[in-house]
Amino acid sequence: MSESKATRSVVVTDPAGVHARTAVAIAQTVRRGKSRVTLTKGQQRVEATDVLQILTMVAAQGERLEIEAVGPDAAAVLDSLEPLFAGRFADEAQKSV
Amino acid sequence: MQKLQGIAVSPGVAIGEALVMDTEGFRIPRRFVARDAVIDELERLDKAIAAAAAEIAHHRETVSAELGDKYGAIFEAHLQMLQDARLRAELEEMIRQRHYSPEYAVSRILRRYAQVFQRLESSYLAERANDIFDIEKRLLRHLLGRRREGIANLASPVLILAHNLTPSETANLDRRFVRGFVTEIGGPGSHTAIVAEALEIPAVVGTGPFLTDVSGGELAIIDGDKGLVILQPDEETLASYRHEAEELRIQASKLEPLRDLHAETVDKVRIELLGNIEFPYEVDHCVDRGADGVGLYRTEFLYLGAEIEPTEEVHFQAYSRVVQAMGQKPVVIRTFDLGADKVPNMAAPEDERNPCLGLRSIRLALRNLPLFRTQLRAILRATALGNIQIMFPLVSTLLELRQAKMVLADVMEDLQEHNIPFNRNVPVGMMVETPASVMMIDHFVEVVDFLSIGTNDLIQYTLAVDRSNKDVVGLYNPADPAVLKLIAMAIEAADRKGVPISMCGQMSGSPLYTMLLLGMGLRRFSVSPSSIPEVKNLCRSVTLAECQAVAERVKMMENARDVRSYLKEEVKKYVREIIE
Repeated sequence: MSESKATRSVVVTDPAGVHARTAVAIAQTVRRGKSRVTLTKGQQRVEATDVLQILTMVAAQGERLEIEAVGPDAAAVLDSLEPLFAGRFADEAQKSV
Repeated sequence: MQKLQGIAVSPGVAIGEALVMDTEGFRIPRRFVARDAVIDELERLDKAIAAAAAEIAHHRETVSAELGDKYGAIFEAHLQMLQDARLRAELEEMIRQRHYSPEYAVSRILRRYAQVFQRLESSYLAERANDIFDIEKRLLRHLLGRRREGIANLASPVLILAHNLTPSETANLDRRFVRGFVTEIGGPGSHTAIVAEALEIPAVVGTGPFLTDVSGGELAIIDGDKGLVILQPDEETLASYRHEAEELRIQASKLEPLRDLHAETVDKVRIELLGNIEFPYEVDHCVDRGADGVGLYRTEFLYLGAEIEPTEEVHFQAYSRVVQAMGQKPVVIRTFDLGADKVPNMAAPEDERNPCLGLRSIRLALRNLPLFRTQLRAILRATALGNIQIMFPLVSTLLELRQAKMVLADVMEDLQEHNIPFNRNVPVGMMVETPASVMMIDHFVEVVDFLSIGTNDLIQYTLAVDRSNKDVVGLYNPADPAVLKLIAMAIEAADRKGVPISMCGQMSGSPLYTMLLLGMGLRRFSVSPSSIPEVKNLCRSVTLAECQAVAERVKMMENARDVRSYLKEEVKKYVREIIE
């Protein structure tokens, strides 16, 4: 299995910012995958599985975050994380079907 | 060293370990753990985290099932925050490197996180701070285990520092270990003040916010005479206070032999010295000091902090304990003197914007007859056991007094019908604590068996001062000539009619006023039990002629300051130490 690194820059578009549910969804998504993911806002860099840290980073609507994933499914993980910053949650989508 | 000025509400000096209680009543002492205990403490922390996590997961399930997944998600977030890896690492560092106890580490670190949110302008995000506090509380509950009842379980002497103490907290505390109280808010009439006085331990209230700077566990001094609180005192201050505490102890022991002597002046005028009590156990303090009776038994504690309205039996048990301990000596029971907010399960009055002038005390009693009758029945039943007298508080009109007496007569009929023994001739009196009652005193003396001047309220209503308001508390002064004039009127009217009159406010317990009051004709003082020896000592050091000369001189004075400084000089001639 090859270790790859992927980075992406996202802008928080959810009007409520990165709130508790977003943080939980980020952590759960990352845990389901096989890569290690960090979020960076300015000088602050936190593990994407640490919900308390994500929340205390306080990312409001319009703020830019850098996401970095290292692992076999790095790019795939970033793909599934990106909608969360817009307030779109996978479980909701499934339920509404 | 940090000095705080508050309001002195209970005298004395206490030196000891500070115990901080947060608003939830948790005690979070800054304890250090021994190097070899670190592993055990970390294990204790992990167990608490696991237990808290299990609890949250359980909540998540039940809430999701009942209210839907959206609500359960809040608990999912709590769970994830609790299991945050960096949080765990930070806690471990505090315990390993700084040797903080897990409780203290949890409180320190989670409060730091909460502050991040509290500083935010968005109220939505600031709300997150409450999530953090919730997690903190949960963890502390598991860490503290059995000790979570706060101050109910203490193992060593402490000084309690709190924002405010609720009646139930003070009711549950372990009296053996509490050496003093400090609260950030509250005034002289606050519950903390009353309890501290009852426990005879120093207390300072109304210091303003300071608890955020205190972690607990440090050395503190409470100066209940000057209203000072000193945290982490330097050596010099500590030595001086230790010396003072020792002096106070020596002085108190010097007065001990007075116990078995009467309170009488040098020229043999007998003075009656009774005790004020709130809790039944205080009757022992009265007996220990050789009190001539209980001049004021406040019954509010029966209602405060209770979940339900006290039953007749609860009242009766309390009164029986007191009256039996006093033998044939009088016990004056005052019917409840509360606002509706303090009575369990009572609806709040709609217009209570100004509780001091609102529906309280006898007014509340007359509007809630079942509540009033329950207490009167219990008091009447206890009259069969000793020398009880009944006193109504805050009477301002004759109609109120007549109504109260009618209710009492009605309850008597009821007991008679059921053949329950009681003393039909129980003396009935009232507090003189409103200017209106003094103005109408000539009428009141015709309908009462005795009177008692309640100076705390009389001063407040006469001078229009709320003494818990620091901006105007300076105007609250027993030595104010307006107050003294009202007191003189009451004593003179009572004397003319031959109705016994006493004084039961804080003024009567201060030796500063003893000579003046004797000179004005007062012969019966009801004071907090701890003040009995000092007041007795002064009574036994003066003649009535000397006191009358003091009273005559004071009559000429036009302001409180002059009265006080004159009294200080006079009293000093007879007793060396005068504590204020």
